[in-house]
Amino acid sequence: MNEVVAMNIWQFGLIYLLLIIVLLIMKKCRINRTKLLFTASLRMTVQLALAGLVLTYILQNPHPLFTVAYLALMTCFAVYTVLSRNKGINKRFKIIVAASLAGTGLTIVAFFILAVVGVSLFNPQYTIPISGMIIGNAMTGVGLGLRVFNENIRTQRVLIENLQNIGATPQKILLPFVNQALETALLPTLNSMIGMGIISLPGMMTGQILSGTLPMTAIMYQIAIIIAICAVTCLAVFFSLFFGYRTLYNSRQQMCI
Amino acid sequence: MPLFSARNVCFKGIVQYPDIDIEEGRATFISGESGCGKSSLLRLISGVTSPDAGEITYRGKPVADYDPVGLRREVLLCSQASYLFDTDVDENFAKYYGYRDLPAPTPEQIRPYLGVCAFDMPGNTPCHTMSGGERQRVFTAICLSLRPKVLMMDEPTSALDDTTANKMLSNIKIFCAEHGITLIVVSHNAALVQAYADDIITLGVCLQTITAGRAQA
Repeated sequence: MNEVVAMNIWQFGLIYLLLIIVLLIMKKCRINRTKLLFTASLRMTVQLALAGLVLTYILQNPHPLFTVAYLALMTCFAVYTVLSRNKGINKRFKIIVAASLAGTGLTIVAFFILAVVGVSLFNPQYTIPISGMIIGNAMTGVGLGLRVFNENIRTQRVLIENLQNIGATPQKILLPFVNQALETALLPTLNSMIGMGIISLPGMMTGQILSGTLPMTAIMYQIAIIIAICAVTCLAVFFSLFFGYRTLYNSRQQMCI
Repeated sequence: MPLFSARNVCFKGIVQYPDIDIEEGRATFISGESGCGKSSLLRLISGVTSPDAGEITYRGKPVADYDPVGLRREVLLCSQASYLFDTDVDENFAKYYGYRDLPAPTPEQIRPYLGVCAFDMPGNTPCHTMSGGERQRVFTAICLSLRPKVLMMDEPTSALDDTTANKMLSNIKIFCAEHGITLIVVSHNAALVQAYADDIITLGVCLQTITAGRAQA
């Protein structure tokens, strides 16, 4: 297999021209998000460039401490992102979300690296990119699940109050909201699995094939990572909401929502 | 011994209730200006919320000492903002019964309660096409059919015309008397209060706001 063609920096710059098209369409449709487009593009470029530099250094000087530090930083950032997007939840709920996200994310990463790939957890070449995909997807799933859960509870306040008044237990009242949010959080992953290989060649696989990996090996990695993403999303959202919803009522079974 | 007693009850640092006694087996109406804490009083009695200070007792025992969910089933609050699912009447009974872990009632079991609440449409009528008053009556029928020992209704006639309101309240009062259900009703309709109340509690006169009290001190 051939090595991937290294991009010339000027040719690489051509890709940014596509953003001008996005900008023009946004202007035409009066989508007032020009600033966001600039910030997002700039942040992505700077963040990825920095990550590239850090990864180059870590891969050239592999040390367990670097891998652990990278994992810790990534997990903290994921927790921070989810919590900062769901400010309305109480403190105990926040702790449960943080523990669920970090706990399930790191467990699935460890299972993937140690059992499925069979290399050391401190091997940065495997652990860093794979944990990025797993924890990143867990973060998106938990963020979506929490948002749907909170929105549904807010819009169904009258129902919740009536059910409480007629003597339904808080568990019976809130569990359907947990189930519904979990379903919504899982759907994007499940839907993407349906079209995979036919309408999309996923990112990791594309990357591996570009860099010269045999397609069958790339496919095995891809299948493994998608199943890991499905599992981590399910577990992280389930633990966050299943334990989190219990913070919404007190020992007198009074709701504080 | 009164069924309920409230002593020195203060709620959310705003409402100071007068001492209140409610007798068993009677229809007690609570009236008063809006914002004087009528609905909150019902919520305090059923233990859905707790007072900052003071104590409410039910059969001589503090409300806080009862199993909370058990008490709400016994002392059931039919709130003003009713909620019906987007299905038909019978299915709404089934859904609410499901939340109470009860088997769905049959149409034959449902019909008498709809009759008491002056609702004469068939059980397969879709609820989303109903008027506010019809929805309120269906919801009241659901609450009544759960057969609590105490039924508390918050403005049950707010969406009804006078004729329907009279018919429903008269039916409910007879039903409750026949089945030994104590009735507590919040209403601002003076004519209805006069017509159906055995006892009247008027809030507002004895009501003080704590903040105002502190400001004067």
